[in-house]
Amino acid sequence: MPLAVAAYQHGIYPRSEDVVAATRGLERGRVGSEDVDRTFQAEKEDFLLTQREAGLDYFSDGLLRWQDIFRPLVHLSAGLDARTLVRWFNNNSFFRAPEVTGELAVTAPEPREMQDNGDVPEPKVATLPSPYLFSRAAHEDHDRNALMMEVAREILRPVAQSLVSSGYRLIHLEEPWLPYFGIDAADWDDFEKALQEIHEVAQGATLVLHAYFGDAGPYVDRLRRLPVDAIGIDFVETDLDELGKEWGIGLMAGVLDGRASPIESVEGTVEFARRVADTLQPTSLFLSSNCELEFLPRDLARQKVLRLGQVSARLKESLA
Amino acid sequence: MIESPDLMSTPLLTHEVGSLDKPGWRVKAYAGKALEDRDLEEARSWGERVGVEDYEQLIALLRRSPLQAKEDKESVKRWSSRYGLRLQESAGLDAAYDGEQQRSEMYAWAVAHTNGFEWRGSVRAFDNKYYSKAAVTGPISLTEPYHADEFAFLKGIARAELKVPITGAYTIADWSFDERYFQDHDLNVAHAARRAARHQARREFILDVSRNVIRPNLEALIRLGAKWIQIDEPGGSTDPDELDLFAESFNESVQGLDALFSTHLCFSDYNLFFPGIEAMTGCRQFCVGFANYDSRDLGVSSEARPGYAVIAKFRDLPYRPALGLGVLDIHTDFIEPPELVRDRILYAVDVFGDPRRIQVTPDCGLRTRSWDVAYRKLQNMVEGTLLAKKDLGL
Repeated sequence: MPLAVAAYQHGIYPRSEDVVAATRGLERGRVGSEDVDRTFQAEKEDFLLTQREAGLDYFSDGLLRWQDIFRPLVHLSAGLDARTLVRWFNNNSFFRAPEVTGELAVTAPEPREMQDNGDVPEPKVATLPSPYLFSRAAHEDHDRNALMMEVAREILRPVAQSLVSSGYRLIHLEEPWLPYFGIDAADWDDFEKALQEIHEVAQGATLVLHAYFGDAGPYVDRLRRLPVDAIGIDFVETDLDELGKEWGIGLMAGVLDGRASPIESVEGTVEFARRVADTLQPTSLFLSSNCELEFLPRDLARQKVLRLGQVSARLKESLA
Repeated sequence: MIESPDLMSTPLLTHEVGSLDKPGWRVKAYAGKALEDRDLEEARSWGERVGVEDYEQLIALLRRSPLQAKEDKESVKRWSSRYGLRLQESAGLDAAYDGEQQRSEMYAWAVAHTNGFEWRGSVRAFDNKYYSKAAVTGPISLTEPYHADEFAFLKGIARAELKVPITGAYTIADWSFDERYFQDHDLNVAHAARRAARHQARREFILDVSRNVIRPNLEALIRLGAKWIQIDEPGGSTDPDELDLFAESFNESVQGLDALFSTHLCFSDYNLFFPGIEAMTGCRQFCVGFANYDSRDLGVSSEARPGYAVIAKFRDLPYRPALGLGVLDIHTDFIEPPELVRDRILYAVDVFGDPRRIQVTPDCGLRTRSWDVAYRKLQNMVEGTLLAKKDLGL
């Protein structure tokens, strides 16, 4: 039976120059919020068109209104605030660290930034922060593993459940912290339990845990045993030869560099993806960028998405 | 005025870090747009508030808006530069500049005056803040020293010591795409070989910026009489694996030049700098943002000052640089009370054991704040410094 291959674009997609101008204008009082809303809507439609043109298998809204990967969840939940600006790993990009101020509890089923996504075609892909990332990026002086469990149980679980019922068929969890900073051996069990909370309610959707911005090689054996459907690997940072063989789980291969402006060749990328499939023999193969595309100007990001579609189509042909 | 040779041994020297917001009248007039009454009022009220001499001449110029002549627009930029300088001086800072009023933006200004780059588009830094990002595509060289005119102008009018901020080589390279030095992105190349090639390409890129852009700029500034130059490196801590390149680029930029060189770092895990920056022996001061990470409660214990936990590492650097202590959070309109500034200073002095190694600054440039907020923050910073001096018997 041929390997199932699908392509999708995860994470925050960059804003066009129109959105940049509109949001700048809003902050300076030169543009009204209705104009900004219209610009965001046009931008979302444009991104959906790009994904269609690329022939991707899942559709994302591009998280265009998300100020960072945590902010909509911070606003959604009681007991959280976001103030301190912190560098987003090794990028000239920053997030406001979630700050725990009380008991966590969602106040709505989904972040308001996702509530008007009825126009996103199915199957949809949603991107959320992994509970381990959330707990480590947050300002928290006490037990981070307890926070990880609370975030998983009180925020990510109900949100994931709601998303699945709204037509999301793939939930992509961003996990750059683990390969970038590492994880203590003692924390794996709690991480596994936290993911289990989400996995239980994500039945009917594919749950992907994406380890990126670092080398996943040292963690691969344990990653493969986590309760998710696929593990995402950043192949710009990770050596394929360090990932073993016969994975027995799905793989999301990050094969396009979301932080470099040159557009990868179709032939070379397909050749590499083919080698990934042959070497790791995953149960399913998803193709995407190695990280979110937010670090690229929009026009370059669009070219990467179109290239992703070309690579996917060619790989499907070669594996058929 | 404090004479330059004493700058690095002046206890609790106060200074700004870099950019200020650009006034509405400056932006509109330079863009050739018509000004409204409120723009003129802004120019008038700030001219009066911070003591800009002859500001009525600016008002007269602005009344002729929309301005089309290049010399008129250049004049508006110089007025804005004068306003920025006077704002800092009248807030009471010991060392000042102009809030980078004549520049477009710290990265864009540098790239716009450098050969070998092409613009690629806007990228978000945070929230609704963006920067224009370029790619290096050809040989890097300087079109002309791009801070010389600005410095010459400010030198002629400054009352305080001048500290010239200039964007550093590492940051320029780090904030650019590389389409020249590293081109083989093919994942089929052996991973270790690809990583090594990427690192080598980064080194060549960064050092070319140091040698061909930063150093000639520094030489031009020194010829004009600049005594203190701050090399801004907000990108400097981006990648812990490249601290060797960061330190090498700093040394390559300043080696053998006769001026006082410092650097500015912000919004990173500063622990990652160590021991890498031990190699930056030519750096006399590290100006670092801490308030962003700190509590707003008063107190001088380590528990009360969590944002400053790392400063002992700067104290222990073998070449004993001064520390520019960030005491103002530039991402919020919260006006730090003088007592909070005082306590942050007292904590740092206690850790360092020597007030001459502590200087007092905002975390970063105040560009994202209104002038009113920036001014009040700076005034409180100066007042808090005076309180600390009083407590220390200085």
